[in-house]
Amino acid sequence: MSNNQRIKVLVSVIGLDGHFTGAEIVSRYLMDAGMEVVYLGIYQTPEMIVSAAIQENVDVIGISSHAANYEQINLLMELMKKNNFSVPVMCGGSIPPQDAEALIKKGVSKIFLPHSTSESIVDYIVSIVKK
Amino acid sequence: MVDSIVEKIVNGDVRTAAKLIGDIDNRVPGTREILKALYKHTGNAYIIGITGAPGAGKSTLVDEMVRDLRLQGKTVGVLAVDPTSPLSGGAILGDRVRMQRHSLDEGVFIRSLATRGQFGGLTQSTRSVIDVFDAMGKDYIIVETVGVGQDEIDIAKSAHTTVIVVVPGMGDHIQAIKAGIFEVGDIFVINKSDRSDANKTLHDFKAMIDITRKRSTNGGWEPPILMAEAVNNKGIVELLIEIEKHRKTRKALSPESIIHNKKAIAQLELIDMMKIRLVEEVLNHITNSLEFKECLDCIVDGTKDPYSACDELLSAKLPDGLQQS
Amino acid sequence: MKRQTDYGLEIKPVYTPEDIADLDYAKDIGDPGSYPFTRGYHPDGYRSRVWTRRMTGGIGSSKRTNEQLKQFRAMGQTQGMLIICDRPSAMPIDADHPMGRREAGVLGWHATSLLEFEELMEDIPLTGQSITLLGSAPLSALRLGYIVALAEKRGLDWRKVHGSVSEYPFGHIFGQTDNLPLDLNIKLWLDSTEFIVRNKLHIRSGILTQHFQESGGNNPQALAIEIAMLKELLGKLVNERGLDFDDLALIPYELVSVGSRFFEEIAKVRALRRMYAKMARETFKAKTDKACQLLIAVHTSSRTMTYQQPLNNIARCAIETLAGAIAGCTAIDNACLDNAYAEPSPFAARMSLNTQHIVSDETGVTDVTDPLAGSYYVEYLTNKVEEEAYKVLKQIEDMGGMIEAVKQGFIKNLMRESALQKQRDIESGERLVVGVNELVIPPEEDDKIPIQSVEASDSEEIADRMANWKKTRDIPLLKEKIAQLYADSKKGYDFNLMPAITEAVKAYGTAGEIIGVIRKAYGYHYDPLEMINCPFEL
Repeated sequence: MSNNQRIKVLVSVIGLDGHFTGAEIVSRYLMDAGMEVVYLGIYQTPEMIVSAAIQENVDVIGISSHAANYEQINLLMELMKKNNFSVPVMCGGSIPPQDAEALIKKGVSKIFLPHSTSESIVDYIVSIVKK
Repeated sequence: MVDSIVEKIVNGDVRTAAKLIGDIDNRVPGTREILKALYKHTGNAYIIGITGAPGAGKSTLVDEMVRDLRLQGKTVGVLAVDPTSPLSGGAILGDRVRMQRHSLDEGVFIRSLATRGQFGGLTQSTRSVIDVFDAMGKDYIIVETVGVGQDEIDIAKSAHTTVIVVVPGMGDHIQAIKAGIFEVGDIFVINKSDRSDANKTLHDFKAMIDITRKRSTNGGWEPPILMAEAVNNKGIVELLIEIEKHRKTRKALSPESIIHNKKAIAQLELIDMMKIRLVEEVLNHITNSLEFKECLDCIVDGTKDPYSACDELLSAKLPDGLQQS
Repeated sequence: MKRQTDYGLEIKPVYTPEDIADLDYAKDIGDPGSYPFTRGYHPDGYRSRVWTRRMTGGIGSSKRTNEQLKQFRAMGQTQGMLIICDRPSAMPIDADHPMGRREAGVLGWHATSLLEFEELMEDIPLTGQSITLLGSAPLSALRLGYIVALAEKRGLDWRKVHGSVSEYPFGHIFGQTDNLPLDLNIKLWLDSTEFIVRNKLHIRSGILTQHFQESGGNNPQALAIEIAMLKELLGKLVNERGLDFDDLALIPYELVSVGSRFFEEIAKVRALRRMYAKMARETFKAKTDKACQLLIAVHTSSRTMTYQQPLNNIARCAIETLAGAIAGCTAIDNACLDNAYAEPSPFAARMSLNTQHIVSDETGVTDVTDPLAGSYYVEYLTNKVEEEAYKVLKQIEDMGGMIEAVKQGFIKNLMRESALQKQRDIESGERLVVGVNELVIPPEEDDKIPIQSVEASDSEEIADRMANWKKTRDIPLLKEKIAQLYADSKKGYDFNLMPAITEAVKAYGTAGEIIGVIRKAYGYHYDPLEMINCPFEL
């Protein structure tokens, strides 16, 4: 990757979840790793996230989930498919194993569980964007 | 290839435009050719610059402006610029948070940009992105920047109307904005004017503008100072009215002044463009050379000092006549 | 490994009388039951009343939550109930809103109408136990309306109901779902609290630091914020609504988050009692002792409950419950072993209730009041956390108080920086968490626990039921009450909306409708998500 290029990541909290701290901290880590983070904040519908991701031409989408609203993430995956827009989607948060499995089946590329290290998140993004 | 991209953009295709903006930002080779072809489709949009210190509520103001412009049936492109971290080179682009309610509106295109800050490339990318929005047929293009650096002032200069936003009670706040910004401001907004010290700020401000503004080449335009509470949608209508008035004043200038202004802007833009290319190309040329790498090794192992290395590289790599400055 | 308090104070290997040489027992500590109440409010502590041992309930439809509540009662939880609402109710939007439809009943009880409260309380007494309904500030006014309406229907005197159904207007700053603008949130809180005080209801309002701490804030910051919130909110009731502080002092209760750093958590609660008493007496000139006492409940910290090896959380929960008990509190509800996964399963809920009973009935902790008083270390920690808290409080007050500090982003910054520090400490191994950065096992060997879940179809069902039920209401009556509410909302910031809200609740107006109409009157979009329009012609 040349000097002029930066990995661009969209970070958002989805649906009616109000917990922004996790998303903000991850955004900060990604910035410290030299990435550009388009941060959307809370109360974002899947429709709003897809539209922003397209306009911003991001390389990766990161969704923070602390409210068990996996239905919203499923809808996000369906919308992306419908719009023929494919960038990796990763999710982080307190997501039980069976729900994590279901999300992976829906096309989510990676789930980061609570207490994932910042390094593991950064390394993962670098590895998928380089592919 | 170039033609089909241009055609798509002129037809307002969001995907193609978004991708092109990404390429502009990443300086992808070949982008220049598309911009050249796109240029003839530009010149129709009205460009508004919004500048002010962090925390002045610029994004909320922009969000409300977009709302009102949409109610008037106008299409809008928003370019929100945030600073790059000098330490990591990364950035958090958070302006969109305040504008996300427009994300499903097809008449609005919001794009975030980091300053990146290499060789003053910001002004270059910003102008190119404005061209893309313009070619897409947006009626208004709003460019939001933090008014602290020379780059931001230069961007402000190329807007048709430049709005400076401040908040009361922060003397340092005004200080933080580069003094030069007062010269380019066409409209001043005191946001969060519900604060108790708003009137004091108004007075300080008037004095400040009087001192900084020496001349009036703007057809007698006296920059108004407006009070606003963007979060409560107060003062937005007034701001848009002032922008419209300013637009009309600009139009009514004498033909000589118009040409004079256009020339000044063209000169600024052209010099910028050349500056970036020159620095970038010359530096690339030097840093990719074998001599450069040898010099680095010598500095590291202590056999050469950086001052001599610099002299040697420049005298070896620059054409004669450019070596002495 | 760090040997520092959660706010970075170095901890020495041993503490001696010198560390608390300046401490004056009568002035700074006092006996239990005397000012400044460092040791608690009752001379004989838990002998007169053991803390309310309760579990957090609330999942899915009101009928499902009613069943859960009955299960809890059968397990032995009869002193009080604690129910949290789902995210749509918290926003608030109704279940049949396009977004409500996607999340109704997820992570809590869907609570947007009186009908749902009636279903929740079916065959469950409204009196004789404390009724605590939590989750979201804007819904507080409606929940108060539910209590009034149902008490009337059951022929009970409102004043016989006790508990807490109101909640502070700052939760959304700390990550709680609630999309009402701050100023309007504060107005509704003032309205509902004034209504409680003037009608002499035995209903409290939670002014909480739980959410701040669960989002990463540290102990002295939490204390400072609690005092700053109380000063500002109670001050407004005194100055703007003309209420007497001594009457008001019966309103607030605090839910403290108690983590696993045992001694520091105990010191925090002791310091809080002292700080509140001083504020009541010095700032508000409280006349009675009662008015110098802040009711404090404990929530064992969700933040400490790990995803990895969830059964370890039973141990954490026990330690934190013991800390809360020793510190002295009026009620405890536990973050359960499955906290990092979902709402408590029946298994986890039983474990947590049992844990509380093990602590109260087997350890002897209820025998003696404030047993750690006089410990050089604990008294030192109590002094230090208070000292540090006053520094933060000064910063907030220099800005102009809590509301201004919120608006300037100061509070969020505190929380973010503190959360970042905690995360860095875990990543660097400066703080050890078993199962996370110590004694780690592969995921496939991890504990298997039952998970309480809500299906997408459950949300749809709640939404469809609401859509159909709405049509069956007495529409002319509802329209009349909504019109009255809208008219009242136009009468200014100080005009109390509680009577109109209560009337609208009785006419089965929903949270989306009632809060929506108030929003509209104040110039905001009817819908917090700006997706649907106001169904009433106003």
